Amino acid sequence: MKPAPALAEGFPDLSGMRIAREPHWFRWLSAALIVLVLAAIVRAFAGGQIEWSYVSRFLTAKVILEGIVNTMVMAVLAMALGIFLGILVAIMRLSPNPVLKTVAAGYTWLFRGTPLILQLLLWFNLALVFPTIGIPGLWSARAVDVMTPFLAALLGLGINQGAYTSEVMRAGMLSVDIGQYEAAQAIGMGRLRALRRIVLPQAMRVVIPPLGNEFISMVKATSLASVIQYPELLHNAENIYYANSRVIELLIVAGLWYLLVVSILTPLQMLLERRFARGTLRLAR
Amino acid sequence: MTRLSYFLALAALAAATSAQAAELPAEIKQAGTLKLTVNSTYAPMEYRDPASNELVGLDIDLANELAKRLGVKIVWSETPFAELIPSLQTKRADFIISGISDRASRRETADFVDYLGTGPQFFVMADSAAKDATDLCGKKVGTTRSTSFPVEIEKWSKQNCETTGKPAIQYVPGENSIDVRNQLKQGRIDAAVQGSETLPYAQSQEPGKYRVVGEPFAKGYQGIMFRKDDAVLREVVTEKLTAMIADGSYKAVLDKWGLGANAVAQPMLNAAPQ
Repeated sequence: MKPAPALAEGFPDLSGMRIAREPHWFRWLSAALIVLVLAAIVRAFAGGQIEWSYVSRFLTAKVILEGIVNTMVMAVLAMALGIFLGILVAIMRLSPNPVLKTVAAGYTWLFRGTPLILQLLLWFNLALVFPTIGIPGLWSARAVDVMTPFLAALLGLGINQGAYTSEVMRAGMLSVDIGQYEAAQAIGMGRLRALRRIVLPQAMRVVIPPLGNEFISMVKATSLASVIQYPELLHNAENIYYANSRVIELLIVAGLWYLLVVSILTPLQMLLERRFARGTLRLAR
Repeated sequence: MTRLSYFLALAALAAATSAQAAELPAEIKQAGTLKLTVNSTYAPMEYRDPASNELVGLDIDLANELAKRLGVKIVWSETPFAELIPSLQTKRADFIISGISDRASRRETADFVDYLGTGPQFFVMADSAAKDATDLCGKKVGTTRSTSFPVEIEKWSKQNCETTGKPAIQYVPGENSIDVRNQLKQGRIDAAVQGSETLPYAQSQEPGKYRVVGEPFAKGYQGIMFRKDDAVLREVVTEKLTAMIADGSYKAVLDKWGLGANAVAQPMLNAAPQ
């Protein structure tokens, strides 16, 4: 090994010097300012016209807990319906069959083009159009017995979600290199089999972050079902303040629960992402 | 205080102020405007005329007449029924005249100057089998969930169904009176409850569709709602309302909306019996 080259003439030897830390004055200043602002906000709320005893009393009230359970049940079922429809419609949209393509595009157009609350009200009031529904000659029932607030909310939220999810799924499928389809064909796989075995598993990695996003939206979108009397969290919190006029207190109670649920969902999404990124862990950072 | 002593107090007040008319609070007088908030889903008390989209109704007419006499203009705003009390508390509204019932539970946050007789009223589809109110025991009855009616129904059911061994009424919530009538039409509910003052209008819109069952089942009043600390404004409005009753302009407004029978003899402070 050659010895290290000597320093050129005229250059001082820096090797013994300590590296000074940058002082970061602005970091300290901004942190102090933010702490001050936060303290002022907390102080304002603590001294504001809020009866915090109502918040703590109703935080674990039975109707509120039932509300959060109903909210989660609806969010999970509607999202499941949405993902099922989304995959189906995305496959139809990317199929070479022009009929399937048009139907898929029409579905997305219709359900993405109207407000969710309007769709919920339509499902809920469907019996104004069709007093009885059924299969002619086989079975029929009063529409209102079928279209309960639960089912109206599930169909409204799920079918609307399907329209959005189909675009997420389509993006995922398009992100898989065309060579993967060709390779699957080359080894004799049919279109659907190639989708199921080759394309969708790879697309999952891409669609999980936006789907997590959509699910978090869904948890909160269930609150719209309060107007069709589905007893979810906001509906039940409203019922309490309709009776005792503690509006802000009950809205805080509901808000805290929504925050808690979303806080739990975020790390769950990361676990899910890691699972589907097994093949490409380096990229999943 | 009994209701009689309220009458006397108001009469004394009227006598005391007749010499020297009560003054509007300086803030309102200076601005020249009254900020009023209504929930416009309660025809004929207040609603948006489908043709013109104007705010119309009995409350709107009364408020306009009051404003004329007070020499101020009204700036209207709208809100869901459940937000009426918060609107008053946060001073978004100077007072509330919006088909709201004077109720003991609401008097914790506001004072009511009662100006119209009312009561919850059962009604059904015209072809329903229900003849008497007690036929509704065990049936599904819907009403607007943000009103005082759910509690009234429960109370009535306890007294008239459960004490006689009949099954209790099953209360079904609705969003507003239109939603409740839609639920009735679809058969989601067997009967519905609305304030008696709104039913003639609903029936005129869909003739022959609905039938009332029995009498209004609790006697009460609609009140103009004031902040507890706003006695000055309350007294000025009470005085003008008293004058409107005396000179017949109050009755004219009620008659215009077909509710002459719901008139009161004079404004009353926090006088509803519940």
